[in-house]
Amino acid sequence: MSGTPILKIRNLQAKVADEDLQILNGLDLELNSGEIHAIMGPNGSGKSTLAKVLMGHPGYEVTAGSVDFNGEEVLEMEPDERSQAGMFLAFQYPVEIPGVSIANFLRTAVQAHQGEEELDLFEFQDLLMEKMALLEMDPAFAERPVNDGFSGGEKKRNEILQMAVLQPSLALMDETDSGLDIDALQVVSNGVNKLREENPDMTVLLITHYQRLLNYIKPDHVHVMVDGKIVQSGGPEVALQLEEEGYKSWREIEAAQAD
Amino acid sequence: MSDTKTIEGVTDAINREAVQARTAGEPAWLASRRMHAWEVYEDTPMPTTRLEEWRYTDLTEKLLLDSLHLGSVEARPDDPSTFPAGLRQAMDEDREASGHLVLIDGAVVHTDIREDLSGKGVILCSLREAVEKHPELVETHLATAAVPPEEGKFQALNAALWTDGVFFYVPRGVRLDLPVRVTRWISESGAAFFSRTLIVAEPTSQVSYVDEILSDDLAAQTLTSSAVEVITQDGAQVQYVAVQRMGRNAFYLSQQRTLAYRDSTLDTLNVNLGGSVTRVDLNARLMGPGANSDMLGLYFGDADQHFDHNTSQDHVAGHANSDLLYKGALDEGSRAVFRGVIRVHEGAQQTDAYQTNRNLLLSDEARADSLPNLEIAADDVKCSHGATVGQLDEESLFYLMSRGLPQAKAERLVVLGFLGEVLSRLPLGGVQEKVTRAIEEKLASHG
Repeated sequence: MSGTPILKIRNLQAKVADEDLQILNGLDLELNSGEIHAIMGPNGSGKSTLAKVLMGHPGYEVTAGSVDFNGEEVLEMEPDERSQAGMFLAFQYPVEIPGVSIANFLRTAVQAHQGEEELDLFEFQDLLMEKMALLEMDPAFAERPVNDGFSGGEKKRNEILQMAVLQPSLALMDETDSGLDIDALQVVSNGVNKLREENPDMTVLLITHYQRLLNYIKPDHVHVMVDGKIVQSGGPEVALQLEEEGYKSWREIEAAQAD
Repeated sequence: MSDTKTIEGVTDAINREAVQARTAGEPAWLASRRMHAWEVYEDTPMPTTRLEEWRYTDLTEKLLLDSLHLGSVEARPDDPSTFPAGLRQAMDEDREASGHLVLIDGAVVHTDIREDLSGKGVILCSLREAVEKHPELVETHLATAAVPPEEGKFQALNAALWTDGVFFYVPRGVRLDLPVRVTRWISESGAAFFSRTLIVAEPTSQVSYVDEILSDDLAAQTLTSSAVEVITQDGAQVQYVAVQRMGRNAFYLSQQRTLAYRDSTLDTLNVNLGGSVTRVDLNARLMGPGANSDMLGLYFGDADQHFDHNTSQDHVAGHANSDLLYKGALDEGSRAVFRGVIRVHEGAQQTDAYQTNRNLLLSDEARADSLPNLEIAADDVKCSHGATVGQLDEESLFYLMSRGLPQAKAERLVVLGFLGEVLSRLPLGGVQEKVTRAIEEKLASHG
């Protein structure tokens, strides 16, 4: 099941840029290729910050630690370089880009991934249509402006489509379940599972507040994050335990340790 | 002290004698309209920044009237091989059309119109020719209801000094499936050019018209004054598109008035990418119930470019709609002013009028001022206005970069999308592609 190490996070510490607000407090995490990991944690535990810091969001400043992705130090890279290296972040709140169609956006992105070599537009069109068919999406969807006026479900499906086209080796999924009703959640989860079937080596890091997403995308490992670090790691049973007990007990342990 | 007072705006080149010279050989009605316009020009003070409409465009600094000579008016041969490269390129992109008209330095050098259309009575010709051959049509409409000299100092100057321009007439019920394309090229540095465009669409006719003005960079300030009058009679549908891609030192002055009568549609799009100073006065008048005017605008500045858009939506009749959207992106030290007013006249009930201006600043030195305004003299209306000036959003850039786009590419995509929204509202063959390409070229030049 477990392949070669793909992501190694060591003692990662980060704060909000321009503010004295520390959010990640020495986080360690290791993922092997082909694994599905879930990070669960209460609001304010720093889960989404972790996703953004891994992708290079300019709103955060890394103060210590290292992130090794396939042998390269990610923290030295710009967000576009991280994407080109094979990382992908499915946003919790995908951004609206009015006037830019999904097809145009993805074509530009795939071209950027390809570097100097000119993108064959017919090949790209085939790739886009193939992925849309896989995700059971209407081809007309690709002509709509990116996320502009989309429903919550449409925005998340668009994230999955981008992931399908860019074919990352590591997918970070930040609260992909938030704001989705059960039908939309199933559609999105099915999409992720199909992409995994296509590419079993793809590593997935799910970041979620709720256990319900894990009914649809089965994790191999579950980590609990509180106050900017991982406080427990285990198998799927950890998620079920959290579902029953909530995060309250972790808060108490943290408080006890602090005393 | 002598008893002669200084008349503002009279120079060695721009004066009563110059207007009189223009009247040579013209019919009496036209000569007297020119002289009347000149009287108005003399009586109207030069606009200063104390006037609300000129608050952010200081002509004492920007307009070098004393340095300008009148552009030569000699006609050139209709031989494309002698045309400047920039003009030829623009023309090459415009093959699909109902007709073409090309002007170089204010003089018409080429006209063609599809035979089946001229057979139906469609007229596309130089304005001078129209004065001779279709005096009844020109006399009725030219510089009367549309852009009268009383509208302002420069409207008066244009009405007094215009040399040539375009006359386009579409008879009742005639529909053109392809646009008419007019290309104007300016090359004489230091000159002042005055031209007029008169478009008359008779009831239930349908047409689109693309007016492109171009030049290379010019050595000294060069003034292009353009007056445009568009009249749609009952039930007619007209799209008027003006694209300005002039070079440095061009001062582009465009005064437009559109008259939309009962149940007609009169949409306009003003694209301004070039020139050192651009001033557009657009007055859209909704003259009859059921009239509709979409007013679109797009500008993209860099270096020290200055754009001043002054729009008004005059709802003279009730039960009419107007919807304005002007968007601009400003890089480096460029500057934009937008001033728009919705005027709902007394009794113009059931008016729907909207106005939106959005600006995207791409540098800390760029600046945009937006001044929307409402003057409403009726009580049963729907009106709104909105203006924004924003920076390139960090979150949008991060989103695009996280998909692999380098920062410069991500910025370009956001700007293209931002401005592209305007173009997508008026899908007209070739215009979208041409303007998008021009914006892309400008973006690429910023590296």
